[in-house]
Amino acid sequence: MNQTPDITPTTTTLLIAPAAVLMFGVFVLPFLFLVVLSFWSQVPGSLSLDTSLTLANYVRIFTDSYYLGGLWTTLWLSGFVTLICLLLALPLARWIVLHAGRAKGLLIGISILPLICGALLPTLGLVNLLSPLGFINGALKSMGVIQSSLPLLGNITGVTIGLVQAFLPLMVLPLINTIERIPRDYEKAAMSLGASPLVVWRRVLLPLMLPGIVAGSLLVFCAALTAFVTPQILGQGKVVTFASLAYQQAAMVLDWPFASALGIVMLLFLALAGLVGALISRRLARGS
Amino acid sequence: MTSRFSKGLMLAGVIAILLFLLAPILVLIFSAFDGGNVFRFPPRSYSLRWFEEALTHTEYRSSLWVSTVLGIISTAIAVGLSSLAAFGLVRGKPSYRLGLEVLLLAPLTLPLVVWAIALLSIYAQLGINGTLPGLILAHVTITMPFAARIMIATFDEIDPRLEAAAKSLGASPWHVVRRITLPLAMPGLMSSTAIAFLVSFNDVVVTTLIAGAGWITFPVRTFSRLRTEGIDPTTIAIAAMIVAFTIVVIVLGQRLFQLSRRF
Repeated sequence: MNQTPDITPTTTTLLIAPAAVLMFGVFVLPFLFLVVLSFWSQVPGSLSLDTSLTLANYVRIFTDSYYLGGLWTTLWLSGFVTLICLLLALPLARWIVLHAGRAKGLLIGISILPLICGALLPTLGLVNLLSPLGFINGALKSMGVIQSSLPLLGNITGVTIGLVQAFLPLMVLPLINTIERIPRDYEKAAMSLGASPLVVWRRVLLPLMLPGIVAGSLLVFCAALTAFVTPQILGQGKVVTFASLAYQQAAMVLDWPFASALGIVMLLFLALAGLVGALISRRLARGS
Repeated sequence: MTSRFSKGLMLAGVIAILLFLLAPILVLIFSAFDGGNVFRFPPRSYSLRWFEEALTHTEYRSSLWVSTVLGIISTAIAVGLSSLAAFGLVRGKPSYRLGLEVLLLAPLTLPLVVWAIALLSIYAQLGINGTLPGLILAHVTITMPFAARIMIATFDEIDPRLEAAAKSLGASPWHVVRRITLPLAMPGLMSSTAIAFLVSFNDVVVTTLIAGAGWITFPVRTFSRLRTEGIDPTTIAIAAMIVAFTIVVIVLGQRLFQLSRRF
């Protein structure tokens, strides 16, 4: 690859500057402001901010059982959603790479559809799928499998289904990229040496897929941890997740410093997840 | 025999997972044709009345209009700025290329809801909360990474020797861009325009936090209605039309310029 630039450095800077300045000013700076804001407090009963530094917001999050409960629910829910996504995405991604052939583009298109449709439209469909009179309950009742409707909305089941549906593509896409790079001979070699399919998966395929698994799991975990539209609609206010608490504080209670502190706590957990992911990847790189 | 059986089982599993992935969208489109006031399966009657309702409902029509205008302006700015930046990064080969790519793609990795909380309080301090410029700024930011990723990949694939050849034959820089670079970049430009518009049009996470009463987009109106009054069949009909539109764009994009390969 030719390393000499085709345009002058001045032109380069002029071309890049508008986008870079915008992204820095509108995206990066607010995060820095968020840190400061989380140490301020709201003057009760007004929209003005008390700019004296305080730890009160953080103390409130980590002492109030309501917020701690929300944090705990969100953490295990995100972990559970990640696990289910992984179990569904592994066979799907492998099948798309090995057998889809010309349908591959279409299948990838299908799996990115929920990403482009945003959080809301698929969730509307899920409400009609899961509601007491909805598709699943109606179908099961007319087949005589159940007498009364299964409670699929307004509880953790509905939220889990919604989150898995929304974030499965985030797991499938990195897995497809990793699986495409595994030579097919490895599997054949292991089989010809007498390994059973289970052993091939455990000793050959899974270790080779691990980079994709780590990347996909991180994406799904982070997305689930910060989701609030799907949990609010499918949980019908009965499932309290951390992001919906932050949303309520920011949009309804209008306590922005406290909402910022909730946001910072979410960021810290995301950073922690990222760190764990990085450590696993490093151990893998050293092991191979 | 066993291998054929396990292959069949595998295929059935894959189809089941794909159906699960598509089920909400299929049910959404199906339920828009239910004639009743509340969707029930199996429907008592089928009708197109909610589509008629949707097209005449003034509140929804104004929201769809807001979403469309916001989407078009934000997409134009995001695709324009990210194309310039991508061209600069690929052709200028600056030493800071990697860092800048991370900056341009940052909204894909950092949680938008946390960012929107910060943006909301900054907008409130600046007094641009709920204004169109504020909304456009936010939408340009969230669509930029999608456009930038596609445009960087697009320019990476264009052979710079083609531009050099045109230049050596006496074409002016502007002429080279117009006759060589732009036509070659067209599939990428179309892809990023389509994706950026859809992302902006369908966003609810950021917009619901920073949209004031004056500029209510369709997803924001639907989300606030859902929380207060529950689901309403007119919403379902509009949502079904938006999903159908999205599918058409993706299928056309796939056919015309291999959209999924660029994503």
